[in-house]
Amino acid sequence: MIPAQTGDLGTWEARSIVRTMFPLLVVLSIIVLAAGITLESAEAMIEQYGILAVMVPTMVDMGGNLGAIMSSRLSSRLHLGTVSFDPRDPILLGNIIAVLALAASVFTALAFGAYAIGAVLGIGLALSTLLVISLVSGMSVAVVAIVCSIVTTYLSYRAGIDPDDTTIPIVTNVVDVFGMVIFIGVSWLVLF
Amino acid sequence: MVVRRESWSIYREALPILGIALLGGLFAGVVLEGMVEQVRRFPGLLVMVPVFLATRGNVYGALGGRIASGLHQGLIEPHFRWDERLVNAVVASFVNGIGISIVIGVITWLALAILGWDSAHLFEFVGIMLIAGTLTSVVLILGLLSIIFAGYKLGYDPDNLVGPIVTTLGDIFGMVFLLFAVTVMGVLAG
Repeated sequence: MIPAQTGDLGTWEARSIVRTMFPLLVVLSIIVLAAGITLESAEAMIEQYGILAVMVPTMVDMGGNLGAIMSSRLSSRLHLGTVSFDPRDPILLGNIIAVLALAASVFTALAFGAYAIGAVLGIGLALSTLLVISLVSGMSVAVVAIVCSIVTTYLSYRAGIDPDDTTIPIVTNVVDVFGMVIFIGVSWLVLF
Repeated sequence: MVVRRESWSIYREALPILGIALLGGLFAGVVLEGMVEQVRRFPGLLVMVPVFLATRGNVYGALGGRIASGLHQGLIEPHFRWDERLVNAVVASFVNGIGISIVIGVITWLALAILGWDSAHLFEFVGIMLIAGTLTSVVLILGLLSIIFAGYKLGYDPDNLVGPIVTTLGDIFGMVFLLFAVTVMGVLAG
């Protein structure tokens, strides 16, 4: 029995946590800066249609959430040694269908939520317009999230890197950027 | 029907979590809508918003994941007490959370300078991020730990709690404190 040593915190030492995480945080911030620049460039449109601002945080986060669900499931199976990248694999297919169904539900709900808030604040758009914007951008982001998750999990599997450490945060942040770019692009196409 | 069973189980498990995240996101959106007017006072402010929100998820998601693993492995106990591992993890999150906020202020200012776009002063961006980052850190760390500990004692798997708590608290408090910081900075900087 080895006595517990107070100095032996290993990976729990604050200095070691900061040293491993901070560089990754800086890289992630630089990636997401692209989303910020996209939002800033659309400032005039957002001032004209305030309801778009209401939808922004969800559009930014939800793609990343879907990517995280997909990636963490793929990487858990990778750890268990049961992963398959064959598109006919029923489990992989089940994951893809689930993420698409989740996206369809959540982005429909986002359109209804934004419609209700818009009506209360007096900045509303037609429900049909909001549904088109939310579902077209949301489903596109879901497809990007699925492709990104599969590709990066596969690449980290080939390279022998544990996907939990670096690839999942990178996938979710990259997908966040796509969420913003696609949302602003689709909104512009629909409204102008 | 492996495909149907697999997809239905993922859907059922994830939908409530994403529903909670949606409510948090919509609330944050209403706050953001109110902040759009302040952009004239601080040009370039919108660049920081997605970066600030995404970073909350990265820093506190990592803390939550670490605490969840620690509870599973029996390395830490679900109470607020002076435990070296818990203290180190919390201190590291403060350092990461506040440190990266300052970095966001600086890279936002740099990006606007490179693009040649209209921009607020560097000290204004850093000041806003420092105020918002510090306040969000305190609330998110306390809130995240309280909910994980309470949930764990009630028998919930902490792994399933971390994601939705971080996204929801991060969106709500991140935006509220960002609006607060912008208002304070508007008064301080005149």
